[in-house]
Amino acid sequence: MTGQSFRISAYGKYLSLVLLLSGGFFANAQDIPLTVVSNTKGAPSAMKMSELKSVLKGEKQRWSDGTKVHIALMKTTTPVGQGACQKIYNMSGDKVKRFWLELSFAGNADAPIFCNTVEELESFVSQNPGAIGIMDRASTSADTKTTEIDGKKFF
Amino acid sequence: MGKTSKAIFFPFILLAWLCSSTILFGQTTQIRGFVDAGVSVQKDKVSFGINEQDLFITSQLNDRFSFLGETVFKFTAGTPTNFSVSVERIVIKFNFAGNHNLLVGKHHTPVNYWNDTYHHGRVFFPTIFRPLLFDVNIIPLHTVGVSFRAQNLGNLKFGYDLMVGNGIGSTEVADNNKGKSITAAVHIKPVAGLRLGISWYSDVIAKGSVTHDNTLLKEQVKQNLFSGSATYFGKKFEFLAEGTLGYNKTDSLGARQTIASYVYAGYKIKEKVVPYVRLDQTHFQAGEMFYHNNNTTYYIGGIRYNINYLTAVKIEYQYQHAAIEGYGNKVSAQLAIGF
Repeated sequence: MTGQSFRISAYGKYLSLVLLLSGGFFANAQDIPLTVVSNTKGAPSAMKMSELKSVLKGEKQRWSDGTKVHIALMKTTTPVGQGACQKIYNMSGDKVKRFWLELSFAGNADAPIFCNTVEELESFVSQNPGAIGIMDRASTSADTKTTEIDGKKFF
Repeated sequence: MGKTSKAIFFPFILLAWLCSSTILFGQTTQIRGFVDAGVSVQKDKVSFGINEQDLFITSQLNDRFSFLGETVFKFTAGTPTNFSVSVERIVIKFNFAGNHNLLVGKHHTPVNYWNDTYHHGRVFFPTIFRPLLFDVNIIPLHTVGVSFRAQNLGNLKFGYDLMVGNGIGSTEVADNNKGKSITAAVHIKPVAGLRLGISWYSDVIAKGSVTHDNTLLKEQVKQNLFSGSATYFGKKFEFLAEGTLGYNKTDSLGARQTIASYVYAGYKIKEKVVPYVRLDQTHFQAGEMFYHNNNTTYYIGGIRYNINYLTAVKIEYQYQHAAIEGYGNKVSAQLAIGF
């Protein structure tokens, strides 16, 4: 094997590895199981997926008990955030950010809280009655509950 | 407790109830801004320009009250600095039940989709410029007053706006006549991306009022505007059509009819690239005295590249024909950002 062909071969392997890893990352972002965590006050214990989408698109200002809806999402650059963008909004992260900016700019909805970590999101939901958020694991906080979607804890 | 005591304490009880809304995460305030710059070629002359700088503030005061403010800094010839500050919106919103809200302040009059959605953030506009019916002041852009608004009610996602405010010719602090403008609008969103709406605007514009065109009215005008819009923004296809039928009635001339409309269509050839076309048209009945009687048609073709959700570049060709100015065309490019 000549030096040049060796380099090409090495680059090829490196490139394949990068593509494999990045492909795995994006696949994970879209296929990652998500769960809905809610404050004990406000959101129901079970919802349909269509209802969840409606709530997370800012179409509902208050829960049936009168508590204001507060939405918490992971930042769209995180795997959980990307998963939520795909599964809930069927949009890219950029589109979701634009979607919320347009809604709040028109005065039609309050923008969600975008969190850096799952712990931050869980803390926000536990401290704010009416809050609802999307995570990749069940919440451990006593002030939260899991809202089942179409009868399942994960979707 | 007597009736007098009840009357005295009622406002305090009401205030206590309003303020008892749990303050959950403290007051959250966000400040955003939008600005754009562009270049145009018209009559063999190239011109560079900056447009409005739009500062946008939202604040959630508690779980019932919120605030929205929009202030624009823009070029205004004749002022000491050649710039002026314009308060475009000050809206205090009180969410009194479910999706029903009471709004007080200076609003964008909810007569059609464009005026209610895009406002001054050019980065959101599907085209570089607003439709012709805005440029020639067919519709009242702003109203100072009070309104009831709800959205996303029921399966059809029904929404309504009912607004009472100072009419055309009044200022931000006082009306110039006893008559109030009334806006009533309804819309539905039966499927994702589709919105259908109609509205009615009515006002009695006093003699001596100055219109948006800086025209001094020589007699009172009774105005009724009927608007309709159909909007679809899907994964690939974008469509927006709006029209306004206006009746301006004066004692001396009777009623005159105006029709103004536009149709926009765009198609995403790639995720971020959208070629588009737009047709604008205004038609004034002979003898129209409130609007500037100048039948005009715009043909627009362009392409939009959304670099990201806060940055968009548009290039556009516009061919126009106006009854007074005749034919003309121009090429424009715009970089619009949000920050």
